[in-house]
Amino acid sequence: MVDEAFDLPACLERVRQRDQVAARELVEHLYPLVIRIVRSHLPRRVAEEDLAQEIFLKMFTRLDQYKGAVAFSHWVSRIAVTTCIDQLRAQKRRPEYRWADLSEKEAEVLDLVLTSEGEVAANDALAARELVYKLLGQLKVEDRLVIRLLDLEQRSVAEISELTGWNPSLVKVRAFRARGKLKKLFQELERKERS
Amino acid sequence: MKDYDSRWQRLAAAARQAPVADDVAAPFGFATRVAARAMNESPPGALAIFGRFSVRALYLACLLTLTGVAANYLAFAGTPDDEQNLVDPVSEVFTNAL
Repeated sequence: MVDEAFDLPACLERVRQRDQVAARELVEHLYPLVIRIVRSHLPRRVAEEDLAQEIFLKMFTRLDQYKGAVAFSHWVSRIAVTTCIDQLRAQKRRPEYRWADLSEKEAEVLDLVLTSEGEVAANDALAARELVYKLLGQLKVEDRLVIRLLDLEQRSVAEISELTGWNPSLVKVRAFRARGKLKKLFQELERKERS
Repeated sequence: MKDYDSRWQRLAAAARQAPVADDVAAPFGFATRVAARAMNESPPGALAIFGRFSVRALYLACLLTLTGVAANYLAFAGTPDDEQNLVDPVSEVFTNAL
């Protein structure tokens, strides 16, 4: 993903001198990193390209604030994550799903997870991911983010703390609360399915 | 909770197996467009910083005003009795002179 030959310090220096070619090279260099973050946190109805553009424009605006204390990619990742959080907060409505709202495959996967100890088949992975997104979509933005980073991206508490700016204790507390809410969602779906 | 945890972890493990989109190259013209826009925007100057903080300052000023008015409400409102008890120094001088 990262281009080894890319001379980041020199590029940043040129960007600070308002060199448009260097700015274009920087965007191309960072695009894979940014678009992966955007895709994993993409709010509904927001085009990924628009969100990526907003992140890059913020990055250029704040470039003078970057002092090199952390790796540049971490600094940009943090801007990307906080921009996604802001977008998600702007969309306050959180959908509520019932069993009937799930696709056939998603319902099968959920049934399997709820009623047996068996593993979900590899060819049901897409349905499992959609189901996870639907469940997470019912959580608050911060809860959704912490669970997604912990359980789907398998990041450590320290990494999440660095990405979000929350201290490690806050990350743990949010994860604990989010898991509690997820448990309730599972139970609710189970109850609705039985009734 | 433990039972639920195992269910969630199995579901999350299955979700992680789902393929992710691997087209991570910037769309044609994206980098040029963003770079041009970023480089043509003037960097934030003192005026922009002033503008950024002025709204907050306005909120703070409103809050302080309301707090001040609330704290001194009785003094502002006054009571009819207070007004009647006020001594008019001019009329007092005239009365004494007569």
